[in-house]
Amino acid sequence: MPGLGARLGRGGATTFLQNLAESDCVVVMGSNMAENHPVGFRFVVEARERGGTVVHVDPRFTRTSALADLHLPIRAGSDLVLLGALISAVIERGLFNREYVLHYTNAAALVGDAFQDTDDLHGLFSGYREGERAYDTSSWALAGNRGSGHSQAIDAESYEQRAGETNVEEDPSLTHLRCVFQVLRRHFARYTPESVQRVCGIDPDQFERLLSAITANSTPERTTTFCYSVAWTQHTTGTQMIGACAILQLLLGNIGRPGGGIMALRGHATIQGSTDIPTLFNLLPGYLPMPAADRPHASLANYLADVTTETGWWHHAPAYMVSLLKAYYGERATPNNGFGYGWLPQIEGDYSFQQMTLMMDRGVIQGLFCMGQNPAVGGLNAKLARRGLSRLRWLVVRDAFEIESANFWKDGPEVAEGSLRPEEIPTEVFLLPAALTAEKDGSYTNTQRLIQWHDRAVPPPGEATSEAWFVHRLARLLRERYADDDSPRAAQLQALEWTYPTLPDGEPNLERVLLEINGVHLASGQPVTGFGELRDDGSTACGCWIYSGIMPATDRNRARERAASGRASLGWGYAWPADRRILYNRASARPDGTPWSERKAWIWWDIERGRWIGHDIPDFPSAKPPEYRPGAGATGVTAHRGDAPFLMLADGRAQLFVASALRDGPLPTHYEPWESPVANELYPDQLRNPVARELSDPGNPYQPLQDPRFPHVLTTYRLTEHHTAGGMSRFVPWLAELQPEGFAELDSVLADRVGIDNGGWIAISTPRGEIVTRALVTDRLQPLSIGGRTIHQVGLPWHFGFGGIATGAIANDLTSLVEDPNSLIHEGKAMTCSVRRASFSATRVAMDGTRDWNEGR
Amino acid sequence: MTRSFGHEHPGAMGFLTDATLCIGCKACEVACKQWNELPADGDAALSARSYDNTGDLGATTWRHVAFIERVATDEAPFAWLMLSDVCKHCVHAGCMEACPTGAIVRTEFDSIFIQPDICNGCGYCVPACPFGVPQLDQDDGRVHKCTLCYDRLRGGLQPACATACPTDSILFGPVTELRSIGRSRVESLKERGVQKASLYGDTSLGGTNGIGGLNAMFVLNDEPELFNLPAAPSLPQRTTGPAFLATLLSGACFALLGAAAFRATKRGED
Amino acid sequence: MPKKPLDDRIRDSPRPHAPPIHRSHWGWLVVAYFFLGGIAGGAQVIAALAALVGGKKSAGVARLARYVSFAAFLPCPPLLILDLGRPERFLHMLRVVKLRSPMSVGSWTLVAFGGVAALATLDQAAADHILPRGMLTRRRGWWSPLTAVTGLPLGLGLAGYTGVLLAATAVPLWTKRGLLLGPLFLASALSTAAAAIDATAIATGQRHRGWAPLRRFERLTLLAETLLMAAWLGRLGRAGLPLASGPLALWVHHGVAGLGLAVPAVLGALAPHLPPKLRITASAVALSSTLFGGFVLRWVLVVGGNRSADDAGATFEMTARPSTERKQGN
Repeated sequence: MPGLGARLGRGGATTFLQNLAESDCVVVMGSNMAENHPVGFRFVVEARERGGTVVHVDPRFTRTSALADLHLPIRAGSDLVLLGALISAVIERGLFNREYVLHYTNAAALVGDAFQDTDDLHGLFSGYREGERAYDTSSWALAGNRGSGHSQAIDAESYEQRAGETNVEEDPSLTHLRCVFQVLRRHFARYTPESVQRVCGIDPDQFERLLSAITANSTPERTTTFCYSVAWTQHTTGTQMIGACAILQLLLGNIGRPGGGIMALRGHATIQGSTDIPTLFNLLPGYLPMPAADRPHASLANYLADVTTETGWWHHAPAYMVSLLKAYYGERATPNNGFGYGWLPQIEGDYSFQQMTLMMDRGVIQGLFCMGQNPAVGGLNAKLARRGLSRLRWLVVRDAFEIESANFWKDGPEVAEGSLRPEEIPTEVFLLPAALTAEKDGSYTNTQRLIQWHDRAVPPPGEATSEAWFVHRLARLLRERYADDDSPRAAQLQALEWTYPTLPDGEPNLERVLLEINGVHLASGQPVTGFGELRDDGSTACGCWIYSGIMPATDRNRARERAASGRASLGWGYAWPADRRILYNRASARPDGTPWSERKAWIWWDIERGRWIGHDIPDFPSAKPPEYRPGAGATGVTAHRGDAPFLMLADGRAQLFVASALRDGPLPTHYEPWESPVANELYPDQLRNPVARELSDPGNPYQPLQDPRFPHVLTTYRLTEHHTAGGMSRFVPWLAELQPEGFAELDSVLADRVGIDNGGWIAISTPRGEIVTRALVTDRLQPLSIGGRTIHQVGLPWHFGFGGIATGAIANDLTSLVEDPNSLIHEGKAMTCSVRRASFSATRVAMDGTRDWNEGR
Repeated sequence: MTRSFGHEHPGAMGFLTDATLCIGCKACEVACKQWNELPADGDAALSARSYDNTGDLGATTWRHVAFIERVATDEAPFAWLMLSDVCKHCVHAGCMEACPTGAIVRTEFDSIFIQPDICNGCGYCVPACPFGVPQLDQDDGRVHKCTLCYDRLRGGLQPACATACPTDSILFGPVTELRSIGRSRVESLKERGVQKASLYGDTSLGGTNGIGGLNAMFVLNDEPELFNLPAAPSLPQRTTGPAFLATLLSGACFALLGAAAFRATKRGED
Repeated sequence: MPKKPLDDRIRDSPRPHAPPIHRSHWGWLVVAYFFLGGIAGGAQVIAALAALVGGKKSAGVARLARYVSFAAFLPCPPLLILDLGRPERFLHMLRVVKLRSPMSVGSWTLVAFGGVAALATLDQAAADHILPRGMLTRRRGWWSPLTAVTGLPLGLGLAGYTGVLLAATAVPLWTKRGLLLGPLFLASALSTAAAAIDATAIATGQRHRGWAPLRRFERLTLLAETLLMAAWLGRLGRAGLPLASGPLALWVHHGVAGLGLAVPAVLGALAPHLPPKLRITASAVALSSTLFGGFVLRWVLVVGGNRSADDAGATFEMTARPSTERKQGN
């Protein structure tokens, strides 16, 4: 998500699923949309039925490819080369939208003298500090910038970023050697169709077909949408892959326009919601950064000075932060105590999921609440994750079934093979029954930032309760427990404003929680109608500013509304921010405020009424005319011109070149996956992302560079029939029968080499371990010719585990802990492996020590 | 409720299932099982036949998504074809005509329905279906198949499968309407270069030789056989009359032969 | 993607699991019913013919035929009821009359036949003075000719409808040359019935010169069965694959054709030239051979049908569009 956030201002999808139907070309890349977002995919199908072109770029021919006009098989992990070549071709052949690029992006800005590109430094940008494996980003600053104090890369995930700088020198002719456009052009010059062939395995003919499909449908009359998902995110270069897509779409003038933009498809239900109101360690609600010990965040004033920008939307950060603190601490938050800022914990390191695995293993973390997650199967390097679980003192698992994370200590493969003995595992496991969606009230924030409320349909069975009930009760019990404690951590608990009313069955009233999220005027107790009403003086409280307006009156929950109308489906649910369905939709009009074309009109300037009107809520100050020019000293968005659509950013323009917000470079650069069978064709001296986060541990070995023992590419994926680590699907007979057993997909040439038939048993290994599973031999995978070598790709669904009805070897036993430096997301989509034939009997034991499918058959 | 077979029923309701829109998500299979409270019946092991692990229509699987990995040829590229198969609700139904108990009836929606309180599990409808739809449930002792969600239709709802389908690959509605949608769909597919596009379920394809058309039709983009559908099946009972006649005629011959044999005796012995 | 020739396409494509049609669930119960029902029907026909045309000389044949018919009939209803998924609902068979459903026609035929066969047997038993005192003491009533007159068509119906029942399905083996199945079943029913009556006569020591017409009839039906069998098997194409190759082919060759048809024919031809002592043995062998062959015929038909239902190629060959012919015709 920082991939979009750093360049566009917000990490969220720029468009909405229904609008895909208006696309003239949909490119699905880094996603298997039909299988993992089947409901949203209907709009891709609709686009195709309306005459649009659908392209799928993926290592495998999937159910998405089956419905596409064109499928390009690609080597997993090489996406950035293809995107770079598209960018280069668009620039070199003059296929970009000059008017859009000039006004809506920072293409004209000049890059400072100190900047040196990867071309000059053999794959590194200037400012690389070898010992720290990190960049000093000061040399990436734009020329003329007065220095905004953002010289250091900010924490990942706080990507609604304070990127973008003001008062920079510009060259509107886009010809200056140091202007962003020319820097970009030079940077991507080596990304050619030939390099695509050598690195990705896509031949130039196919490349040209893809290019012409995209460019022919990126004009004032036509638009192209890109859909991506975790197959871009889960790379050590994931952020930059997404960033490259953003650059391409900006050059083509597709962002902010109907049928255009980038549809970020989230990994599963309400994962968007869980970053908006985050379960992430480094964010507060509404993408405010978590106070950090290694940042100047000692007091509220320091913190606000750090996160507030002079220009751009983040000028309002104080109102959002103070309102959040008022929501947390109520009356106890006063101007005198910094609104209780001191009670907030501060982070002093990386507590990403991968790091937590190591911390459990090393005894740093001793207790774990596991809710809606199954790390014994879904954790990266799951063998290590299970060992980590086995070293905890206590573990609370709340789930609907006895998932692997709750029974690894008795049924896990380590117990079966004898390396773990139940009686020696100190972990006390509490398995608590959890209610499922239909058994509780609540909301989902879906992939298009749309919040939809749902009511309980049936009461949960037995003693099952909702997560809200559990957390509410836990908080009250903890406050009671620490009532007489005067330590700082007790103070944190006691300071919380925790007064949620409960329903007769003991469940907290979630609409009251929603009201707190929406925000209220504290004096009147009335809800705010939008984030514009939030103040930094303590007169308002708001749990998540971007959701403001969802409950404009105490009796109106807009997430509950189901009266869609018009092309934007307004009236169905509530989309943050402010119910805008296409973000940056000011860009759907030309700089002068008129639509790019009648066909693609979305938001335009109505001269008579003096405001922006159209099919959607304008993502722009509604009365700011196109010709508006800010005066000197203007702050916030008033400092933006009337033709600057990217209002979150300091200069209101999309960042083709990101001066400071990213850790691994201002421009996307291709590095091979952490484990790759080939050298880096484009930068021979720099194989891997130089600042990717390694998690060194004996239990997490990596493949030595191009180790011939692991010659094949391995990629993991999901199936329509199952849900993530299987907790909600493998235990359900109707879903289990659809994909009853784990398998790996491989091409017939590799199958012949290994000596197995379709359905036979194979062992797949990486430096982390080996799993034995069934082989699905298929023409849907084809060997690729990469730099004169034949590369085979092996596909491995990662749903399966030893519990439930549908069982199979755990794919994540093969994956490693290594992170993208910006998002701290692991690399699950490209690694290397070896494949050999396995014997059937060995499999039975390895796969499943507890049951035999042939029983009773 | 029963209705003699005849011409197309004006209130006939049915399905139009479009292979070119199917993404193989199997939501129809699950929705069907959930609504009709059917047990999971797939083998608990990987079939290794593409993504099809439930195999076939049967007593407890009334929607079945077929996956066909069509290999590349000079004529057509590699393709992954998917189609949700279902009871065809024939205009003249082999199963219904075969049924000796009258358990299989035609409803007011012109669908073919097996009354579970009448069926005695003789199993004759099973081989009498030209499409392999009904099947005897060994545990339950009766034959079951798609009911076109008769209970839902009575309640004003659409069948569960059509409701669940995310891409409108399964359409439910009046057969006459669906037929014209299907025909124009095939036309437009042909214009788009899908030369083998066809509407399966009219009297020239699928609903042939006495079947009189299908109320559950399919839009196909390749030969029907590739989807496991017979191109020109026959109504099995078209044979009944002639076969009885042939049997009677031969019976008469045998009777005459016998009479001759015994009469000869009479004459010779007397 | 690599290109492959068109012919390989269907072969290489991972087919859906199942064949396009479903096989029947029928097994031994139905095979046994087909066999016994055939004998019951055939024997009733012989009884009727013997009674109506055979005169006094054939009274012995008619007498034994009635007993054999009834004896063969008795297990039939239980066999059929046991074969039902819901045996307690066997009476549902008599809810409706459906002339297009051979099974409905057959059910009613079986019921009517049962009545007539029972009456004929009672009648015979009364004549033979083997009934308990006070039961049907009148030697012959008005119903005696009636049982013969109705027994003839009902017997033919019972013996032949099963062939129609198989023909009126989607199973390639049964429906491909379905018009011949009824006559074939009928011929086999008559030959096995004649053999059963003859064998009973030998076993009970009642065989004498008056039995020549029965043997003549037996030979005629065997001849008819041979011709029908040859005609049927000859043009089955792919549908006949289960009978043309594999283990069933052995049963067809040795069981049906060899033991069922050839052995009785050869022994029948040889019999007059054999010494009297051997003649009885030869007859006994020939008769068992006929009976065995008749049983195997039912068995290979049911099992072979199920196998042909599993053969997608057979179904698709039979249901192929006549497109090429049409094109050529145009």
